[in-house]
Amino acid sequence: MEVMQIANSFPMWIACGVPVLLVVVQAALFARDSFTAGKAMGLTDIQLKSAARSSAITSIGPSIVILSGMLSLLVMLGGPVAWMRLSMIGSVMFESLAAGIGTQTVGVTLGSDPLTPLAFTMALWTMVLGSIGWVIFATFSADRMSVIEQKVSKGNTVIMTTIASAAIIGVFSAQSAASLVRLNKNAVACILGGLIMAVITFIAEKKDSHHLREWSLTITILLAMLITALL
Amino acid sequence: MDNDKYFSQVYMPKMNRLGKITGYLGVLFSFIPVSYLAWQYGLVPQGSALFASFITAAASFGVLWVVEPISYFPVLGPIGTYMAFLSGNISNMRVPCASIAQKAAKVEPGTEQGSVVSAIGMAVSVIINIAVLTVGVVLGASVLEKLPPNVTQALNFLLPALFGALLVQFGLKFRKHACFMLVFAIAIAYAVRIGLFNWLPGAANYLPMLSTVFISIIIALMVHKKKA
Repeated sequence: MEVMQIANSFPMWIACGVPVLLVVVQAALFARDSFTAGKAMGLTDIQLKSAARSSAITSIGPSIVILSGMLSLLVMLGGPVAWMRLSMIGSVMFESLAAGIGTQTVGVTLGSDPLTPLAFTMALWTMVLGSIGWVIFATFSADRMSVIEQKVSKGNTVIMTTIASAAIIGVFSAQSAASLVRLNKNAVACILGGLIMAVITFIAEKKDSHHLREWSLTITILLAMLITALL
Repeated sequence: MDNDKYFSQVYMPKMNRLGKITGYLGVLFSFIPVSYLAWQYGLVPQGSALFASFITAAASFGVLWVVEPISYFPVLGPIGTYMAFLSGNISNMRVPCASIAQKAAKVEPGTEQGSVVSAIGMAVSVIINIAVLTVGVVLGASVLEKLPPNVTQALNFLLPALFGALLVQFGLKFRKHACFMLVFAIAIAYAVRIGLFNWLPGAANYLPMLSTVFISIIIALMVHKKKA
């Protein structure tokens, strides 16, 4: 049997669908319990729903970027594998790198040489073994790191908030800097994103517009992307 | 039962149990496709080749398995950590969505209400992400390939724009701190780019994020202490 036929066969969809389903089930269970907990802890329905809605709106842009990254993986390794690998663990960059390492050890260059069944198997194994390290460490350490954080802050909520806010700024600074130092169009997009956001935030505050605030991120990234592409 | 007890005595133990069960199940389940190949077609990797590629993979990004959960923890919290690492795409999707959800609900990060809200935000983003990918994979390569090349090219600018926008959105509240951290992050990113850290294997992958997050926390705590 030809390797792409195996890769795109119906049982392969099922085999890859089970792990994807698990990720969905985990998210659904966490969401359900968090809604219940939120209400028990005095958050209003409006707060919870606007949190969910804002996150949904924000998700669309990055999802499409991930989708366009899935295209290359889909052509090389078939639909089911591309779908599973980008729905759980890892990221676009990691997956193609790991797949390439896997096929290379049996002498196949991913994307240029024809894929053999053995190379396909190697790609899959390498992606799996290369990614479970993240989940194992994260799953094992999540509650333990929480204990450490409690000790550092001595349960003081002001300190906890300071730590989390500083960490968020650190993450976004590092991500922005990675684009900025390239001094190419990515840097332009990053600067435009910042500028447009500043302007929209200013207008939203002045007009006290709830809708503008909710859509500000989506409007900003679309505008910045368009302007950068047209430059 | 008061709020404080509900969070620490009902919600968190339940979430820890759920996170651990689904996390370890996720590890097991990711072997289903390779097991199917072995069972149905007898396709098993040669031990030596698999060992070689595992070592290469571990050398390239094995450090990240430990460094990423630690550096994202102050942002994600315990519940977010379970979810983000099983679903992946952390910096480009989970962190932005969790933070935006907190902003929308007007709760502070690092608080108990903040943890609950960020869990909701993250769960929603996981489901949207998978829905978009599923639609995409069903439409298949044939449709996706018809996208004009300037559209796919423009999509490359979406993430840089997202990060710039988020930095401003969250930095506006702490202007001085955000400006300083951006300068610091640029300096580190530039140093890594021109090869100053080449002696540290794989530094380009983790050093900018790790150092920026922890320097940011340390500075914020020092300023906080000085004020108090």
